Amino acid sequence: MLLTPGLIKIMNNILTIKDLCLSIKSSNTQDEKVLKNISFNIRESEIVSLIGESGSGKSLTALSIIRLLEKSCEIKSGEIIFLNKNILSLEEREMRGVRKSDISMIFQEPMRSLNPVMNIREQIKEAYPKNCSNDLEKEIINNLISVGIDDAKRVINLYPHQLSGGMKQRVMIAMAIASKPKLLIADEPTTSLDVTIQKQVLDLLVEIRQKLNMSILFITHDLAVASQISDRIVVMRNGKIVENSESKKFFNSPDHSYSKSLLISSDYNKKIDHHICSSDNPILEIKNLKVYYKEKNNFFFKPDTYIKAVDDVCISLNPGMTHAIVGESGSGKSTIAKAIMGLASIKSGSISILNKNILKIRGSSQRNFRKNYQMIFQDPFSSLNPRMRVGSIIKEGLCFLKPEINKYEIDKILRDVMIKVGLNQDSLSKYPHQFSGGQRQRIAIARVLILEPKLLICDEPTSSLDVTVQKQVLDLLVDIQTKTNIAYLFISHDIKLIANISDTMSIMNKGKIVESGKTSDIMNNANNQYTKKLLSSVPAIIK
Amino acid sequence: MFIFLLTDIFFYFIILTLIVYTAYVLKTPDIRETWAYVFRNKTGILSIVVLSFFVLIALVDSIHIKNKFYDEKTKEYIYNSEIKSLLDIVLMPMHYNSEKSYSAPFSSHLYSKETVKQGSNSEIRVYPDLLYKGNHNKFSDDKAYNISITLIISFIKSFFICFLIYMLIFYRTLFKNYFNFFLSIKKNNTLCFTIFLIVFISISIYDLSLQYYVLGTDKVGVDVLYKSIKSIRTGILIGTLTTIVMLPFAIFLGIFAGYVGGFVDDIIQYIYTTLNSIPSVLLIASAILMLQVYMANNPLDFENIYERADLRLFFLCMILGLTSWTGLCRLLRGESMKLREVDYVQASKTFGLSKLSIIIRHIIPNIMHIVIITVVLDFSALVLAEAVLSYVNIGVDPTTFSWGNMINAARLEMSREPVVWWSLFAAFLFMFILVLFANLFSDVVRDAFDPRANKNYE
Repeated sequence: MLLTPGLIKIMNNILTIKDLCLSIKSSNTQDEKVLKNISFNIRESEIVSLIGESGSGKSLTALSIIRLLEKSCEIKSGEIIFLNKNILSLEEREMRGVRKSDISMIFQEPMRSLNPVMNIREQIKEAYPKNCSNDLEKEIINNLISVGIDDAKRVINLYPHQLSGGMKQRVMIAMAIASKPKLLIADEPTTSLDVTIQKQVLDLLVEIRQKLNMSILFITHDLAVASQISDRIVVMRNGKIVENSESKKFFNSPDHSYSKSLLISSDYNKKIDHHICSSDNPILEIKNLKVYYKEKNNFFFKPDTYIKAVDDVCISLNPGMTHAIVGESGSGKSTIAKAIMGLASIKSGSISILNKNILKIRGSSQRNFRKNYQMIFQDPFSSLNPRMRVGSIIKEGLCFLKPEINKYEIDKILRDVMIKVGLNQDSLSKYPHQFSGGQRQRIAIARVLILEPKLLICDEPTSSLDVTVQKQVLDLLVDIQTKTNIAYLFISHDIKLIANISDTMSIMNKGKIVESGKTSDIMNNANNQYTKKLLSSVPAIIK
Repeated sequence: MFIFLLTDIFFYFIILTLIVYTAYVLKTPDIRETWAYVFRNKTGILSIVVLSFFVLIALVDSIHIKNKFYDEKTKEYIYNSEIKSLLDIVLMPMHYNSEKSYSAPFSSHLYSKETVKQGSNSEIRVYPDLLYKGNHNKFSDDKAYNISITLIISFIKSFFICFLIYMLIFYRTLFKNYFNFFLSIKKNNTLCFTIFLIVFISISIYDLSLQYYVLGTDKVGVDVLYKSIKSIRTGILIGTLTTIVMLPFAIFLGIFAGYVGGFVDDIIQYIYTTLNSIPSVLLIASAILMLQVYMANNPLDFENIYERADLRLFFLCMILGLTSWTGLCRLLRGESMKLREVDYVQASKTFGLSKLSIIIRHIIPNIMHIVIITVVLDFSALVLAEAVLSYVNIGVDPTTFSWGNMINAARLEMSREPVVWWSLFAAFLFMFILVLFANLFSDVVRDAFDPRANKNYE
């Protein structure tokens, strides 16, 4: 055989995908083509990031490599060559061997990918070949230590629910690398983790790659994360690959217009500089707020123990300003929002809006006052009742909080608000499931905007949306603020976003505010140790 | 004069509810779309047509009439004490006369030999001829030939009737508003075929039963086919009336337990756990026995035996309903607990909506699919439960026509020689058809309403 230069290149590749086409069978309509002529390759000990928005087909690509597709998916054409074998033509029995020893996969949700009734030892044991070395126990412990679990001897006996999210993901990685695979597929392994843990996991992956000389296919929607670890970037859109280039080149001068728009959207920066006036008339004033949850006791006569979700928090917000609350999951930032909206019971402290203590207002006057402060929820898929039309969803609050308005006026207000949030008039008679995530979030915004609130609490309003959609929704919120002088209490875990959108910010950890002040001050020179750690963990795009 | 028995009124009420629900479905696009799936589905439309035919029979059987006749002696009109249903009048040829004892299906003589006098003093053992049917063949003396001629004639009849029905259903101007909905059905050949099949079967059986006992006769010579048809009402009543009794308990208690939680939840949970731990057969037996004692002590409360039997049927539905709401209640409690934490309920709370309006606006519409699925699934189980309870003598009154009573009677018939098999067979056949189509229907309904199976709600 002649060794042409092209062939040499292939030999260097550990995985080659050629013209992969995949469609999803459906009974009543035509088959939907979800992957169209996917071709790319992964070289030895290379980290390739597969980037795309939800529904772009990146997970399906990964699942076709390891051949774990659902039954309704059918590979129409193309080949996947892994170590000179075409994976698609292997028998299922041979494929099992490949999965056992050569290709491993880590999934997005560590809580769901570990069996809750098996302890860690048993879980990891499964990943090893049956007739492995005699000292399996020792090997498992070494493996756990290599993924950064120091007290492996203790952890090995624990069950998944006793571990934190980051620990579980480490266990998952330990299982994946147990057989020393040639290729590791990581499907959004850090998406559900907090930034500080995300950084640890990313560092770990890079370290393992060097140690085991392993290639990694890293699937993510987060450009910053991708830029941190990958050698090459593959961008997917609507089942097609739109760009495949070296990491450095991609982040400096991307070829495709879609890649450019992704880069622009991920670096959100549309800030209006308010001068922060220390007016004496804050719209929201939270003083010494404490929200404790009682822990359930199974014993009588045992003193009640409390979980301090929010502990002694003070926040003040002026009209037309944006205050951000930043923290990792479980820091109590959402609980503050719930406490303001009356969804959580408060132990002590006061919350004043427009100089009225809302905890003391009761009955009908409370109802009247509610239109001044409203809230947007994180997940637009669960915050809209699937059985109600968009029109009745939007006017629900209006009909209830302002019953004096008659029907014709309501129609007019509805039409106005639809224009404001940029939706069509005929959307009013549709149902929520007919809309995309971004449009749904617009509906949710319209629902609260129609009440003309003075204060809007946004609980992670963009974190479940794709970057380009995220940008549109943020644009809308900023636009509304400049027009109506509304104040936002913005709750997020995304520090990059906060830095661009907020005027002042508070950083929360374990129910307490560790630092608060002007956003620019904190971003540039933080005082607190935790803040510094948090800021340093935030992935930034490396150019 | 029309007579309204207790169960009749409730049955009308159920039909009325069905009509109101249909109107609601036609008005609401997304639910209409869900039901259109059931109608478009071949199994769905098939079972709907068969079930509606059964319901139609039960409805006709629920319109009761007392006959008036002119008394020569007193010179005035008085009412006959016998209550008849509309179905009895339609099926008059089937039950107007009764034979002496058992006779096999399509037979021309009794099933057992009798001693008959021949001439002046000699006696012989023969199978006596049937008095009213089986010997008066209309077209030919050859039985098989006669039956086939009858079938061909009924085939032609049913063809014309079906043609009329199709004209009625699909005539454009009649249902102009919902024309598109019906148009989607029109293309469905299964519907046309099923209707034709049902019309043909019922007409041919009716025609045949004018000349023969199609399913034989029972011990006292009553047509078994007539008994089986009359039992349809009992079966359907038990299936539906019980549901009506159980639904309020299940829905309200389930939602309140799940949504309000805490103390209320504890109480409701204790109630249904207690109820669940009592053997339901024991509970039903004691309730029925109590009713029997009451009826024996107060015979004057009842005008006639129909009212007594009807009260017992009604009471059976009540007690069955009281013991069967716990399963659905538990399901709804869990679902409401889940919905309570969902964001759209939280969002309504931020508008300050009261608990009741949140339950009505947000919770109930989102649990309705569970209710519908459970109701349709429970129906067939209840029809079977009636048969079991009547078999152990704690079911309906012995004078009420029911498949359970037929099976109970067949216990003795099966142990005699030669075996009388047709009572059991008839009860089995009718019950099998009803339960089979109810199950098929519930499968399709579940597919249509289950959000996980439905691509629209993903």
